Amino acid sequence: MKLDILNALDSDSLLKELKSSSSKSVAASALAKLKVPNKKTEKYRYFDIEPLVTKDWQVADIAEAEPRSEGKKIVIQDGALVNSGDIEGLSVELAEFSDIDSEHFDGLYFLSHLMAKKAIVIRCSKDSSFEIEHIFSKEESLINYRVVILVDANTHVQAYESFSGDAKESFVLSGYDIFVSRDASLKFIKSHTLKQTQYTPIFTSRYKVDSNANLKLSSFDFSFANGLNIIRVELKESANIDASHLLYVSNSAKYGIVSEIVHEGKSSTSSQKAKSILDSGARGIFDALIRVQHSAKWTKAHQNSKAILLESGAYMASKPQLEIYIDDLEASHGSTTGQLDEQQLFYLRSRGIKESDARKMLILAFAHEIVATVDDEYLANKIYAEFERAYYGNYELDCIKTCDGCEELVLKDEQ
Amino acid sequence: MSKVLEIKELKAKIGDKNILKGLNLALEEGKVHAIMGPNGAGKSTLSKAIVGHYNVEVTDGEIIYNGKNIVEEEPEERALDGIFLSFQNPVEVPGVNNAYFLRTAVNARRKHLGLPELNAAEFLREMKALVSELGMKPELINRSLNEGFSGGEKKRNEILQMMMLEPNVVILDEIDSGLDIDALRAVSEGINKMKDGKRSFLVITHYSRILDYIKPDYIHVLKDGQIVHTGGPELVEQLEEEGYSSFEEK
Repeated sequence: MKLDILNALDSDSLLKELKSSSSKSVAASALAKLKVPNKKTEKYRYFDIEPLVTKDWQVADIAEAEPRSEGKKIVIQDGALVNSGDIEGLSVELAEFSDIDSEHFDGLYFLSHLMAKKAIVIRCSKDSSFEIEHIFSKEESLINYRVVILVDANTHVQAYESFSGDAKESFVLSGYDIFVSRDASLKFIKSHTLKQTQYTPIFTSRYKVDSNANLKLSSFDFSFANGLNIIRVELKESANIDASHLLYVSNSAKYGIVSEIVHEGKSSTSSQKAKSILDSGARGIFDALIRVQHSAKWTKAHQNSKAILLESGAYMASKPQLEIYIDDLEASHGSTTGQLDEQQLFYLRSRGIKESDARKMLILAFAHEIVATVDDEYLANKIYAEFERAYYGNYELDCIKTCDGCEELVLKDEQ
Repeated sequence: MSKVLEIKELKAKIGDKNILKGLNLALEEGKVHAIMGPNGAGKSTLSKAIVGHYNVEVTDGEIIYNGKNIVEEEPEERALDGIFLSFQNPVEVPGVNNAYFLRTAVNARRKHLGLPELNAAEFLREMKALVSELGMKPELINRSLNEGFSGGEKKRNEILQMMMLEPNVVILDEIDSGLDIDALRAVSEGINKMKDGKRSFLVITHYSRILDYIKPDYIHVLKDGQIVHTGGPELVEQLEEEGYSSFEEK
């Protein structure tokens, strides 16, 4: 299946061609209007979308076998739910899902919905913490699926997303529809290392944060291959999002974030921070818009992107934008791109630390602010380790940096 | 007395500006040498040239340390061989844990000397003892390196590093600047404790106050990129009374 040929179809033909139910007519109309992206599409201009939409893909079948239900981890393999986990307060099921974001800016978001017959729907009705593991094993395939997370009112949830598998030369088109109900909170942590020979992922998602709800989004992408995270967030009255993104890209890959945070309700707040470390001809992408609508008085919106270029061929496409339709608000945005601080580098070297180690130390320090947003110490350590493994090629996590176990040992010795 | 560090006809510039203009200086083993001079004489440039700072370009001359010319050596090689500079304005490094950084540096030096590396517990024990001796706040060891430290805390942290690294040659660039009397006393005590008859010190200062605490064996007067006079501790009084103008440039 070639995706670009869909651009010739109207909404009815799209439903027919993609064998979608009529409940998805909103998605079909939106795709017919937005089209499958190509190299001229504004939001994809820094990314190589063309090879993905012109290739004739074998679309991976998604099995609907009965999943296991064990452990604290939900496992999705090539789009199929293989383990729904045994997690108190959580229900996980396959269901038709049509409550999509009709205002989404991304054609692939609608295409993904049209192609997915059912979505994996996770409902959180009690405070809980769980992991979602995505496994990709089918090679040279288009793997498409959708996941929905519903966090009930006044419920507090942490979800950690991990990835494994080597689906060589595949295209993973996926993403979330996440609803954080009023007075609820969700900490959503994504950690993804993408190796050189793996699939190309485009995760296109929507987050709806209801009144007085809070979303903390921390994404860690360490990539040696192309990929894109596309996010649209709606904030209702007094809703809040804290989004932090750490990006390490190497091996001439193009990877990044295209986002739109829309303040719909008054007194809503958003903070978005991105830190990118770019190596070996890599291109980092941070194309992020915050829109404050007429209805969103007394909003606070802050956005910042910082990038370090580790060598001259690396490039950062940074485009933080504010689109504001009211006067009564507090907003800021900024972007810096540079190299490692020479003074800091020299200071470390002047204490006998060799240059390569000093550079690594400073890079880890740059990343630290984003990793520190994860208050679960176990996960923070795991993310540090993943980053070090991606950056160093191996990892040796020094406990002194992250725990005080040794201090306790010393105190015990002294007693 | 043997010479540990010998600087011969050193010429150096920062950007297009020639700062050191054929400077000669020899540090004797176990002695405290003080360098005094007016603003812009080249004191800090000299200290930077010795440790291989990226801003300073040595255009001529030699810096002989342990019998070899180190002008072309990398800063970390000089540090591992035992040259330590306490910076006038230590840079802040957010995100690098103070203890982690220092343990990395200490173990790099120990490895270079063929000594076993310190494990976390051994290192922390030793570090905590020195932190207490220097009157540092214990929480500073778990903070980011120098980030948000006061001027005095930064200087104490420099001395802590010096004490942990046990260098052979210590260069103290304006160690007294920004210190109150208690901090000056604590820092000086730390430095004096490091005097062992083998280790050499080069104290670079504007003011004689620090020399009340760290007794120099030699005073060198630096003017316009050259050492114009060398004498004993009695030179301090003469400098206080007459200023630098009585010492003519060569």
